Amino acid sequence: MIYRLSVMRQLVRLLPALIGVLLFVLVGAASLAALLHHMDMSQWKGYLQDAYLWRIIRFSLWQALLSSVLSLLIAIPVASCLSHREFKGKRVLLQLFAVSMVVPTIVAILGIVVVYGRSGWLADGLGVHVPLYGLLGILLAHVFFNMPLAVRLLIQGYDLIPSGQWRLASQLGFSRGTSFRLIEWPYIKKVLPGAFVLIFMLCFSSFSVVLSLGGGPKSSTLEVAIYQALRFDFDLDKASFLSLLQVAICTLVATLIYKVAPKNQQDVSLLRAQCFFVKDTRVARCFDGFIMTLALLLVLPPFVAIFDPIFSAQFLPTLLAPATWQALWVSLKIALPAAMLSVLLGGCFGVLARMAMGRGWWDFLPSKLEHLGNMILMVPGLVLATGLFLLLRSLGFGLQSSYWVVVWVNAVMALPFVLRVLMPVLYQQERRYRNVYSSLGIYGWSRFKIEWSLIRSSVAQALGYALLLSLGDMGVIALFGSQGLVSLPLYLFQLVGSYRLEEGACVAVILISLCLILFYLATRVIGGKSDVRD
Amino acid sequence: MNKFLLSSCAIAGALLSFSSSSFAETLNVYTYDSFASDWGPGPKIKANFEKECGCDVNFVTVDSSVGILSRVQLEGKSSEADVVLGLDLNLMQKAKQTGLLAESGVDTSHVVTPTPWTDPVFVPFDQGYFAFIYNSETLSSPPTSLQDIVENQNLRVIYQDPRTSTPGLGLLLWMKAVYGDKAADAWATLAKHTVTVTKGWYDGYSLFLKGESDVVLSYTTSPAYHVVAEGKHQYKAAPASEGFYPQVEVAAMLKNAPHPALAKQFMSFILTPGFQSTVATGNWMFPVIKQDKPLPAVFKTLPKPTKVLTLDADEVAQQRKAWINEWLEATTR
Repeated sequence: MIYRLSVMRQLVRLLPALIGVLLFVLVGAASLAALLHHMDMSQWKGYLQDAYLWRIIRFSLWQALLSSVLSLLIAIPVASCLSHREFKGKRVLLQLFAVSMVVPTIVAILGIVVVYGRSGWLADGLGVHVPLYGLLGILLAHVFFNMPLAVRLLIQGYDLIPSGQWRLASQLGFSRGTSFRLIEWPYIKKVLPGAFVLIFMLCFSSFSVVLSLGGGPKSSTLEVAIYQALRFDFDLDKASFLSLLQVAICTLVATLIYKVAPKNQQDVSLLRAQCFFVKDTRVARCFDGFIMTLALLLVLPPFVAIFDPIFSAQFLPTLLAPATWQALWVSLKIALPAAMLSVLLGGCFGVLARMAMGRGWWDFLPSKLEHLGNMILMVPGLVLATGLFLLLRSLGFGLQSSYWVVVWVNAVMALPFVLRVLMPVLYQQERRYRNVYSSLGIYGWSRFKIEWSLIRSSVAQALGYALLLSLGDMGVIALFGSQGLVSLPLYLFQLVGSYRLEEGACVAVILISLCLILFYLATRVIGGKSDVRD
Repeated sequence: MNKFLLSSCAIAGALLSFSSSSFAETLNVYTYDSFASDWGPGPKIKANFEKECGCDVNFVTVDSSVGILSRVQLEGKSSEADVVLGLDLNLMQKAKQTGLLAESGVDTSHVVTPTPWTDPVFVPFDQGYFAFIYNSETLSSPPTSLQDIVENQNLRVIYQDPRTSTPGLGLLLWMKAVYGDKAADAWATLAKHTVTVTKGWYDGYSLFLKGESDVVLSYTTSPAYHVVAEGKHQYKAAPASEGFYPQVEVAAMLKNAPHPALAKQFMSFILTPGFQSTVATGNWMFPVIKQDKPLPAVFKTLPKPTKVLTLDADEVAQQRKAWINEWLEATTR
């Protein structure tokens, strides 16, 4: 009896979190149902027999695998170097790394072309002609988008290393190599599967990059076929089939990865610590220098090319144009609530996963919850939005509700990133405090107050990512948008869609600057001064 | 959390007051975004028509012309759209099959299009021809025919994907009209010196402007923009001795239009100077009626078609998928 009561009480305490997750699941399922409603299974066998479909699936898998492995291979030593060394510009670099993934694709493509293209800097300056169009171009672009993301995720993993371990390493005179092997690698291993799956999914469903830099329809992804079915053919049946196929493939990959990956086991680290000095050697210095140069060469030149329009005569007029400010306002109006909603949802997921962690039969739940959040990335945004659109139409909502739909879909789309950032820290706090909490009877808000100083920097980062993603969103707002709801990326596309490429490039600079500023503010205001450590 | 609720309430309130502030009837026109943008023809058309009708015009913008159609299809019979503006020749048949469009009742006999306009549902609003654009400063011997472009292995070509963009589909039909049954071989030849095939018009055109290719698929009217808006004269449209394939953009009203009378009035308005005078330098396309006011001089210098190629609309609607597959097969061989 007492046991049952305590279970009831537990459930009541979890209610807000449950409602959050349920809302997410219900809206998602209903949107999917609205889309699947149009389905006709008899056609499916025919789709599967399409040879081209299998070819693009093979290609998608191949390029996504290469892109994510390459991104991570570079990111691991870069992250190690960045957490051991202090140098001028490190902060700025990390900020830049945060925004790279939200650079609008067309802008990134043009940035890469300016550097590696036929009349680009490499060709003009060094006379090196890069065979850009094909797998190489795709990889360059994907590494540009995702390697920095991987670095940031890995550095988060470094933050979980307890100071005791570093102190020991320092006292024992570990070299960088030994400390990497004995201390860093076990923590990297924890972040790696999640980061891999995230980047893999992003590359697997990459669209414009693969088409534009792929050099022809040989390089194509499932996403292209989905877009074609949904927009050009208005074949909802085929679109939903292809989306389900994409979800199935990504789930398979994710399952495989998590199968070979170690189970999520957090250690109790007492305090988040600064990295103690580890013996520096010339070999280590050379290696760090080499790997940082490589990473910077891959990321910085396209950024310089992207920021180049600052010096053009068009920049000031574009910056001062009322339409730019109008678009900026719309962007903020969407991104701020969407980001908060996303972090709130992420929190709901986190609370539930923590509760279930290590509790016998429920132990399977955390990874399932994370996967649920990740599912969003596998379903193309356009499909998700279309389903939601159909659902809302059938419920009788009209054009007026489009603002809220855009906010909701953006919040949901950012969820995988929020979860990646939040979950490891939340798990760690649970490990650390669970016994204290239950023996002292601390619940709810009080727990939050105790942990806030420890999780705030992660919450800030999650919010920052959600902000960036919503600011950079293009697909959702384009489907739902109406006049008056023109965000910065949409404004950019309007400009380049009517020959105004230079003004478009200027708007891109403004958009990226806004991303940088907001990300900085989010991490600074909510995360607190990063050197304040307990 | 409270702050969030407060701010969201404030935003909701602002949205509500915004939507209920006007009392005049509002005509909803679905169109693609660059048409309704500040520098597109949209704002002028809105002002001109509002003067005539005493109503409000609200542009609902979608990312592309195919987007307009799929948006209306998604909304079905309950759509708030009165008029769809921005479909093209190749989408007409498909749009009609949705059963959502009504006959316009507009007299189109004075319309000047490549082939006489007889369609009762659609009213054309501007037109042009697909063409390859080159930079005359860097390309000394420009192509003079589609065959040149297909066969000259030294020419680096960028075009758009027929699965995702209207010009891409235009090229598909152009090739079909010129090469007929031999289109597959022509595609395979072209694929050997194709730099890349982009998702949309702007990706391809931007890559071309960055110097990634010698020619890019666009419209005969593209050079006019560079001359009028930028004062640049080096961009030229390559002539095609086989003939050009036309692009005609059209509008239609919906059967279930919430404001049928206004929609009808707007459909007739399309063929008046109030609308037609805006398309040349707003949308960089040719108007569809003879105008009193001449177009900017540069429009006279653009290559004229020696012959206008067209395919039968029904055939296009039926064969589109097969032709796209043929293109895919040939280019991925």
